[in-house]
Amino acid sequence: MIEMQSVSKVFRTDVVETHALKAFSLRIEAHEFVAITGPSGSGKTTFLNVAGLLEEFTSGKYLLDGKDVSGLKDDARSRIRNEKIGFIFQSFNLIPDLNIYDNVEVPLHYRGFTSAERRKRVTAALERVGLAQRMKHIPAQLSGGQQQRAAIARALAGDPRVILADEPTGNLDTTMSGQIMDLLEEINSGGTTILMVTHNPELAMRAHRHIEIVDGALAASRPGNRGVPEASAAAVASGAGALARAGATATIKAGAAGQPS
Amino acid sequence: MMLKHDLRLALAGFRRTPILTALIVTAIAAGIGAAMISITLYHARAGHPIWWKEHQLFAVTLDNRGSDRRGEELNRHPEYPPDQVTYRDAQALYRSSIPERAVMMYRTARVVDPGKAGVKPFGVVARLTTADFFPMFEVPMRYGAGWGRTDDTTPDPVVVLSSRLNDKLFNGANSVGRTVTLNSKQFRVVGVADRWMPQPRFYDLTTGAFDISEDLYMPFGWSTASKLQTIGNINCVTPNAKVGGFEDLLNTDCVFMQYWVQIPNAATLRRYQQFVDNYTQDQKQYGRFVRPTNNRLYDVPAWLDRNDVIGDDSRIEIVLAVVFLAVCIVNTVGLMLAKFLGAAPVTGLRRALGASRKHIMQQHLTEVILVALIGGAVGVVLARLGLWAIKVMTYIPGPDDNAERRALADSLSHMDYRMIVLAVSISILTGVLAGLYPAWRVGRAAPASFLKAQ
Repeated sequence: MIEMQSVSKVFRTDVVETHALKAFSLRIEAHEFVAITGPSGSGKTTFLNVAGLLEEFTSGKYLLDGKDVSGLKDDARSRIRNEKIGFIFQSFNLIPDLNIYDNVEVPLHYRGFTSAERRKRVTAALERVGLAQRMKHIPAQLSGGQQQRAAIARALAGDPRVILADEPTGNLDTTMSGQIMDLLEEINSGGTTILMVTHNPELAMRAHRHIEIVDGALAASRPGNRGVPEASAAAVASGAGALARAGATATIKAGAAGQPS
Repeated sequence: MMLKHDLRLALAGFRRTPILTALIVTAIAAGIGAAMISITLYHARAGHPIWWKEHQLFAVTLDNRGSDRRGEELNRHPEYPPDQVTYRDAQALYRSSIPERAVMMYRTARVVDPGKAGVKPFGVVARLTTADFFPMFEVPMRYGAGWGRTDDTTPDPVVVLSSRLNDKLFNGANSVGRTVTLNSKQFRVVGVADRWMPQPRFYDLTTGAFDISEDLYMPFGWSTASKLQTIGNINCVTPNAKVGGFEDLLNTDCVFMQYWVQIPNAATLRRYQQFVDNYTQDQKQYGRFVRPTNNRLYDVPAWLDRNDVIGDDSRIEIVLAVVFLAVCIVNTVGLMLAKFLGAAPVTGLRRALGASRKHIMQQHLTEVILVALIGGAVGVVLARLGLWAIKVMTYIPGPDDNAERRALADSLSHMDYRMIVLAVSISILTGVLAGLYPAWRVGRAAPASFLKAQ
């Protein structure tokens, strides 16, 4: 699903160069739920931005859903973001002046769906996250957890191949975090690949795989408690290979939980 | 489909930044409102008596002067054809259907018998004119209307009174249908003109540019039917032309009539000029128009200029209006930049969700055009209110009624809608430029760079 080969990302200013990703290689299979951890400033979010085509990378190769997306023009990147990727952000990033229905509908406009199709998708997505009764509310009228569920509905409405979640529970209390994780697991069980950046080791362990980024490089890749799906066993091995090439140590633990459905 | 979405986002943007949006609308409205007021006042004051159609009305002049050029060196502009036309040329021109409207006319004198005991008959100045006079010069009517075109050749005994004469004869009442006795002949009143005092009186400058309008108007057909002599200027422009009786006047090269046409566009104007030139060329076979073809059509400003009626106008008012508009536009640009750059995180989010640069550009354009249109509309309302207030302050009906003040005040009711269109277009254009820059800037940057700020 996602394959990065020696991807580097360098931020340059007049006086300093920051290597946010260093020859980063990683392969994530379809249907995988991968948690990404690492200290602040380690490059987690940069990795997610590059993976989500929100940011261009400096060198390397990136295959998304089997297609080389390196050096694509802006229009093509926008289209891929719209059709294949769903985003969930720590601070929800809902448009404050639009109601929940309209917020969820926003990405569908750029897809060229008819009004009826948009309505069908928005309603289905909101029902799936349990917000069908709140669709006319504006974000400020909802709790943090509900806002994040609305953001998840927005990510789901376009039926993406992969969801990129940047600390989706970072602004939520434990109970709500648990609920959001349940929802993400349920979405993943439906076949959607999920990459989730988190600082919370417990939540990270609920994924199939848990990778750790340190100083812009892959530092560890190990199975989570959700277990390693058959399809991604090879990817874990490949991750270990990448670690070996990068001179790091890969720790692979047996999953405690069963195989994903 | 996208337009609806863009409009919704634009309205959401207005709600998000109500004060900034209100300031933008105010800046545009103030600029357009003030500019419109200044421009309208300029038009009213700078001697453009019918400026809203001054480029559609043309005075027709034909160079029927003889070959003798003696004395012409005393003329300031010997190259100009005579400022009036002969009767027969007017008749010939009047047969053309090229102009939208055409008017031939001259001044005459009549005696009114008021038919009231103790009130003596008195003389009035009348204008013999054709039916198009009233719609062409947009003479405001207090009661009734002008006459039909058939009266120009076989006239009915009808007349249009000035409000001044109507006040005198009928105490200002609606006199349509009543009769007026002119030189012992009864005429039926078909219309009463409202106060109408174009300054300068562009349609006939031969008897004074700044003068009041005539007391009454009669169908041109009465010219020959009653052999009505002109009381305006007569200029015989060929050696053989002499002013004798009425019949001589009709058949010699003595000019005494004013001839005006209304022409809608440049192409028609070219056709009409060609028609006039062909006519005078044709007349050469009768020994007339001996000079090289020199027929000129003047629009109103050119006509006033040709007759040295108005000197160099002060254009300071217009310059100030434009400068003020420019200041407002610059402010608008700044405010729009602040508004859109402030909304950059939302724009970045939309980019992340799949909006292309084109989508962002479209949405920004929708928003700026909407805000510019609202600002423009409010500006027009402000201008109307301002002009109304000025009109109220300028003209107060009463014993000290002053024709010039009234004429000036009336002219204020004509706003220059072409200028409004121009001003709104300018505000949209600047809005577009102001909106495009942030759209371009947000479009160029990686969407991720704005998401953190969301």
